[in-house]
Amino acid sequence: MVESEVRLLPDDDRSWRLEAYLRRNGYQAARRALTTMSPEAVVAEVCKAQLRGRGGAGFPAGTKWSFVPKDAAGPKYLCVNADEGEPGTFKDRLVLLRAPHALLEGMLIAAYGAGLRTAYVYVRAEYAGLAARLDEAIAEARAAGFLGGRVFGTGFGLEVVVHLGAGAYICGEETALLESLEGRRGQPRLKPPFPATVGLFGAPTVINNVETLAAVPQILARGADWFLGRGLPGDGGTRLFGVSGAVRRPGVYELPVGTPLRTLIEVHAGGAPDGRRVKAVIPGGLSAPVLLPDEIDFPLDVASLARAGSMLGSAGVVVIPDGTSMLDVLRLTARFYAHESCGKCTPCRIGTSWILKTVDRLRRDGGGPADLDHILRLADGIRGRTLCPFGEGAALPIRALILKFRGELEQAAAR
Amino acid sequence: MSGAGTVGLTIDGRPVRVPEGTNVLRAAGQAGIAIPHFCFHPGLEVEGHCRMCLVEIEGLPKLELSCATLVREGLSVRTSTERVRQARRDVLEFLLAEHPLDCPICDKAGECLLQDYYDLHGRHAGRMIEPRERREKKLAIGRKLILDRERCVLCTRCVRFLRAYTRTGELGIFERGLRSEVGIFEGRPVDNGYSGNLVDICPVGAITAEDFRFKTRAWFLAKRPSVCPHCARGCAVSVESVRGYPLADGVQRVYRITARENAAVNGHWICDLGREGRRDIEDGRRVRLLRQGAPASGLSWQAALTEVARALRQVPGPDRAERVAVVLNSRMTCEELDLAKRLFVSGPGSGRVFFADRRPGPADGLLLTADRVPNGRGVLEAGFEPRPADLDGLAASRVLLVFGTALAGLHDPREIARSFAAVPEKFLFAAHAGPLDKLVDLAFPVAVPAEKSGTYVNIEGIRQSFSRAFEPPRGVPAEGEILIGLVRSLGLSLGDLDAR
Repeated sequence: MVESEVRLLPDDDRSWRLEAYLRRNGYQAARRALTTMSPEAVVAEVCKAQLRGRGGAGFPAGTKWSFVPKDAAGPKYLCVNADEGEPGTFKDRLVLLRAPHALLEGMLIAAYGAGLRTAYVYVRAEYAGLAARLDEAIAEARAAGFLGGRVFGTGFGLEVVVHLGAGAYICGEETALLESLEGRRGQPRLKPPFPATVGLFGAPTVINNVETLAAVPQILARGADWFLGRGLPGDGGTRLFGVSGAVRRPGVYELPVGTPLRTLIEVHAGGAPDGRRVKAVIPGGLSAPVLLPDEIDFPLDVASLARAGSMLGSAGVVVIPDGTSMLDVLRLTARFYAHESCGKCTPCRIGTSWILKTVDRLRRDGGGPADLDHILRLADGIRGRTLCPFGEGAALPIRALILKFRGELEQAAAR
Repeated sequence: MSGAGTVGLTIDGRPVRVPEGTNVLRAAGQAGIAIPHFCFHPGLEVEGHCRMCLVEIEGLPKLELSCATLVREGLSVRTSTERVRQARRDVLEFLLAEHPLDCPICDKAGECLLQDYYDLHGRHAGRMIEPRERREKKLAIGRKLILDRERCVLCTRCVRFLRAYTRTGELGIFERGLRSEVGIFEGRPVDNGYSGNLVDICPVGAITAEDFRFKTRAWFLAKRPSVCPHCARGCAVSVESVRGYPLADGVQRVYRITARENAAVNGHWICDLGREGRRDIEDGRRVRLLRQGAPASGLSWQAALTEVARALRQVPGPDRAERVAVVLNSRMTCEELDLAKRLFVSGPGSGRVFFADRRPGPADGLLLTADRVPNGRGVLEAGFEPRPADLDGLAASRVLLVFGTALAGLHDPREIARSFAAVPEKFLFAAHAGPLDKLVDLAFPVAVPAEKSGTYVNIEGIRQSFSRAFEPPRGVPAEGEILIGLVRSLGLSLGDLDAR
C-alpha cells in the first residue's frame, strides 16, 4: 500500500468535507494550475504523467483533453462519467463518498486545461445518495470560491451540474451518456465525430471517469514525474482496485499501477477464505475475459492485461471460488448483457438474447458440445460488429468462459 | 467525371469516381455494386446500427460501415470478401432468428429487403431452437397504418423520418434490448400529411397501409412513373397497377401510388394527398358517354365529337369570339393547352376562354403547395390569362365547352343550372361523374393525368414530361385526343404540335 499522505482516498467517510480536504492541502494544485500555469502547460503535464482513463478503455486523459479544438466558438463541456455500472466495480463510489472535493478539484484543473466552462457529472441512479453529497460538496466549493465565476481571482470559472441517470448500464458508454444527458434514449452514437469535437449538445466535450479526474490534483501538486514514478512507464500513478468475491478482505485498494494481480488477491485482499480455493478471476469488471488461477501472475496495467488476453477495464477484480458452477456464471454473464444491451445494433440486440436463451435451454433441458459451439459462433457474430464496445464486452467474457471451462460446462449440460 | 469536387477510389478492384462527400455505400452503387443495408436511407441521417453494410477498407483492422464512411482519395474497399460475407450472413441470421417468417401473408413479400438479402447473402438453415419473441402483429398507429412488431428489424427509418422531415415525431423506440419496439406515444398516433412514406421506407413488412393490405401481391404490380397532378409541386410518383389477377381479366386497378426519387423536385417523398390520388384514378369515374345525363349506348366518342364540331361551325365566324365559351383547367397538359389555344384563342373556334380549377388549400411548407393543380405555370406559359368562369358570361354563349368538373365546386348548383339552361348547346369533358353531367347535351369521359402523356410545369418552373402510366378504360380519350379531333374537324393544321 502507498503512504497515507498521498492517497487519493482518506481513511474514513467523515473526512469528505471541504474543511478536511483543505487540511490535506486540497485545492492547492488547482490554485497553482490556474494562477501560475497556462492551459497548455497543464495539459502537457497530465500528458507527461501518462494518466490513463480509469473508466475502462484506458485512454490517456491528457491526450483526450488536447483533442478539444482551442479556437472553437460557443460552449464546450466537461462530462464526468459517474455511471459506474460495470459489475464488480465500486471504486468511483468510494471517491464520491470520501473525496468528492478531489473530483471537483480535478474537474477544475481539467476544465482549465481544455478550456471548458461547464461540467456535468452523470451519476448513476443507484448512487442518488452520493449525488446529494456531491451537491453539498459543490455548494461548499462554490461558497469558498473554488467553483463559479473567477476562481482564485482569475478570469476562469466553472459551473458544475449533477445529473442522475436512470439505471442503464449502457449510459456508462460515453456517447450514450451524452444522449442520456441530452434527454434522449441512452444509446451510443456513431463515431466519428468523436465527443472532443462534437459532443454534448453538438459542442466539443471531454468525458472522463470520476477516478481519472480525482487523480489529476496529485499530478499538478507533485509533478508528472512523481506520478509516473508511482506507476509504470506509459501507465502512471496509483489506481483504485476493487476486489470482491471469495477473498478474506474484499474492498477497494489503492495501489500502484503494475501491482501483480496475485499480490492484490493474495496479500492485500487476503486470498481465499479458509477451506476455499480460487477457481477463476475476472480481472477488470465483468467485461474482462476470465482468467484461471495459474494465469494471474502479471502486473495490473492496461498493456499487461491486454497481453494476458483480458483487460484491466475498470480494475474491478472478481474472485470466483471453487464450488461455483461455471454454467451459473455463464448464465449470469449472458443475462447481464442480454438485459443491458440497448438494442440499437442488430448483432448485440439479438445475439446477446439468443445466447441467453441458449444458456437457459442448456440449464433447463441439457445439451451437448454443439450448443457451446453455437454460443461461440453467436459471440463471434457480435464482436467487432457493433457501434460501441458493449458488443466486445459481451462477446469476449462469454467466449472466455466457454473456452476455459469447456469441460465443466459440457458436463453440467449433459443429461 | 473527374477533377475538382470528385474523389477517386477503388471498390472491388473497380476504379470509381464520385463527388466528394459521397459515402462508400452510394459510391459502390454508382459502380454497380449493391451493398445490402437496412437502416441507411439516402433521404435520412446515417445511423449505422443495422450493421448490414459492413465492408473491408484497406488499412483498417475492423470491418467498417459503408454508410458512415465517406469516400477518400485512393480508398480501397472490398465488399465481397469472406469476412464481409460472413458478417452479412451473421446479421441476417440474427434478424431472421427473431423474424416471424410469415412471408406468405406479408404484403411486403416480393419487395422486402430481408427476403432479397436472404436470397443473395444468407441461404442458411435456421438454427434458432429457442422460442422467438411474440409481439403485437397489427397495431394501428394512425393514418390507416398498421405496425407488425414481429416483422420489424428496428432500422428506425420511420422514427427518423418523422423527426427529421415532418418534425412531428409520433414514433419512437420503446423498451430496451430485445424488447425494443417501435411505438406511438399514448394518445398521439401518427397524424401528418406524409405518413404514407413510412410504408415506402420500411424495408420489411412492419409498417403496411390498411388499404393495401391483403389486396394484391407486389409481383403483380406494374410500376410506371408519372407526375403527381394534385398540387403545383409535380412530385415524381410511381403508379402501381394490375391488369387481370386477382380481378377479372382486363379489369385494371391502381393499387397504390408510391414516391419516386427526384432530387430536383420532391427528393424521396410524396404527401398523402398525392398518394391518395389513387382514389382520383379509381373512384367516381364516369367512363361512359352521356347524352342528357343518360348513357348514350352505341355512340363512340369520335362520333359524338362530330356533334361538337358541328355546333362550333354553326356559329358564324365573326360571332365566335362572343358566342363560344370554353372552360379549361390547369390539370390539362402543356400540349393540350397549346391545342386549346389554337382552337379557342387564335383559331376558328375562338371563343371566350375561362378557367375553372379546384380551390387552393393551405401549403404545408414541405411539398404540398397552396395551388392544388399541377400546371398553373403551364397555363401562363401557354399564353393564357386565366379568367375565372363567370356564370353570366357562360349563359351568354351559344356553344359551351367545359373541361373538368371543378366548375361545380365553385358555384351554387342552382346558379350553374340556370346559367347552363340559357346555353343552347353545351358539352362536358370530364373524368369524374358530377352534377354537370345532367346539365349538358353530351358528357364525354376523359382520361385522368396518370392515364395520359404530357408535360406539366411545376411551381418552380421545372418542366416535367411524363408518359401514360397505364391504359385509360376502353373508349375513354384524353383531352388531347378530343382537342385534336376538333382541330381536324374544323380544318386546322396540327403542324408540329401533333400530340399523339
